Amino acid sequence: MLGLATGPVCLATCGPVVVPWMLVQPQGLRGHSRQLFLFLAARLAGYLVFACAVWLVGSAIPHALPQAWTGRSWLMGAVQVLLAGALVVYAAGWSHRRCVVAKTTGNLVQIGEAPVVKRSGALALGFLTGINLCPPFLVAGVRAAQLAHLSAALWFFFCFFAGTAVWFFPFLSLGFLKRTPAIVTVARMVAVLLACWYGFSGISILIERTFHG
Amino acid sequence: MASRSSALARPPAFRGVGRSILLTLPMALWSLLMFTPSFQHASGDHYIGAAAVILFMTGLFFLMMRTGETYRWRRIFFVALGFLFPVGFIAALVAERGTMSIPISRMVSGDTPFCFMVTPSIILPAAFARTVIFPGSILPTASNPHSIAIMIGLWFALTLVMGKAWCSYACFFGGIEEGFAALPKRRRLHRFITRFGAQLRLIPWAILVFVVLVSAAIFEPVYCMWLCPFKAVTEFPAVRNVETAIQMVVFIALFVGLVVVLPYLTKKRTQCGFFCPFGAFQSLFNKINLFEIRINREKCVDCGLCQTSCPTVALSKDSIREGKTLLNCMKCGACVDACKKDAAVWHLKGTPVAAKPERARLLFLYGTWALATMFGGSVLANGVHTLIGFLPLK
Ligand code: SF4
Ligand code: SF4
Repeated sequence: MLGLATGPVCLATCGPVVVPWMLVQPQGLRGHSRQLFLFLAARLAGYLVFACAVWLVGSAIPHALPQAWTGRSWLMGAVQVLLAGALVVYAAGWSHRRCVVAKTTGNLVQIGEAPVVKRSGALALGFLTGINLCPPFLVAGVRAAQLAHLSAALWFFFCFFAGTAVWFFPFLSLGFLKRTPAIVTVARMVAVLLACWYGFSGISILIERTFHG
Repeated sequence: MASRSSALARPPAFRGVGRSILLTLPMALWSLLMFTPSFQHASGDHYIGAAAVILFMTGLFFLMMRTGETYRWRRIFFVALGFLFPVGFIAALVAERGTMSIPISRMVSGDTPFCFMVTPSIILPAAFARTVIFPGSILPTASNPHSIAIMIGLWFALTLVMGKAWCSYACFFGGIEEGFAALPKRRRLHRFITRFGAQLRLIPWAILVFVVLVSAAIFEPVYCMWLCPFKAVTEFPAVRNVETAIQMVVFIALFVGLVVVLPYLTKKRTQCGFFCPFGAFQSLFNKINLFEIRINREKCVDCGLCQTSCPTVALSKDSIREGKTLLNCMKCGACVDACKKDAAVWHLKGTPVAAKPERARLLFLYGTWALATMFGGSVLANGVHTLIGFLPLK
């Protein structure tokens, strides 16, 4: 129920990552379903890793949990920087080779033409959004840490994931959108802008934690 | 009515004075109607401001009728709007607060006027969370009569009539860069813009998607907080920490780069054409708008003059070959006026291309100029009245 109720917030939080990633994929429901499935599976993996971590901290040092949460800023900063990198590499499709091609031919419209279907992209982005500490995720983390058994904490996060995942299915409609070089190019530009955003946000958090504790 | 042959042979007067006056009369009456309330103000400055605007708007419309040219006269209005808006706005801010900056606390409490630029980014949060993420009052209040509901209603009404022409007849920011673009004689970076035009004109769409997604994710109007070049000449968050200092640097850099330097170098509206997400959003309404520019393929000789003259790169070789402009055409009329073969024409959708282009132009101009007078005219009057206030005569 928590997952279902907070789903729109998850949708809004993960939307910036999912939308450009889906838009750089070739048109078609099948491909999009596969990518979304991989993304959600990796996101679930991220959730379960996080559930283990908070439960272990919660059970080992129950009274220290609030202090342990102070470490979340570090994690958030680091995850956002990694997310920025993953967006640039996968969604924007930047590679050394591509830069050289673009430079030598001067024909940047090519960035809109080459389809990118990489499983690792959906997995990396899914896992990183899975451990990105958005507000509903933190609420779920506190609840999981208070549970008596690890299995209960994992089950709790699985249910939370299932509730939020329902909200991701509308993204499949992006599969019907006609793919033109312009749409793919725009999606890649969006990925670069988002990478700048996450990178800036992550680095700001890390700098703040370093200098202000 | 004289026919429009080549620009070189084009007669200096496209219409006779009598006919031009007759066609201008409805607009003169409309202007009078719009500004009659201003004459009830006690202050003489208001009286002068309103009278100046009536003469200005009516005079420009007369010149459009008389010469058959649109772009040149529209640009005079638009540049005046672009430069007079900040004059009136900044003066009002300084009179009220003593500064152009606004503390974040006052911003959060909705003590700031709503700006149409944030319209696209408030849609998703409003749909999902029933929250308007711009700090302001939905309905008018005593302290803030420019409520969000009124501004959105006004924007929507204007958009239905104008489509993307909003960007060349109503936006009170575009005129600043159009002014700087008008200054130099020579175009620079022309080859770069021609070569990369296809990519450059996609940037506003990317910024639009970015702004909409991130605004929904963090529940803040991201464009307003981080990307608006016009914060530099209107209202900005007070610099109190590193974050607001960075914001200020971004605003100033974007303003100087996109609104002053690049327009001056390229003679293009670089902020509007290659950055503004609101402009991209507005382009969507060109789909439902009745007016457009078309290229009459029977007359076109593919000289490319229209493409070179377009301030926002809304024409490409392919689009000219297809007889159309691109979606981001803001109906400024520059291409029509530049075409020496009269191949670029105003067009009313649903009618044959080039059948009655002047009728389409007239219909478009009546609706658009009337709204420009209503919306922009009050901004101009306010600016003139503010400038008069600075005169030592007082
Ligand atoms: S429409 Fe006119 S200006 Fe444009 S290419 Fe054709 S002839 Fe030249
Ligand atoms: S295509 Fe013509 S009317 Fe449209 S923006 Fe360009 S110059 Fe103006």
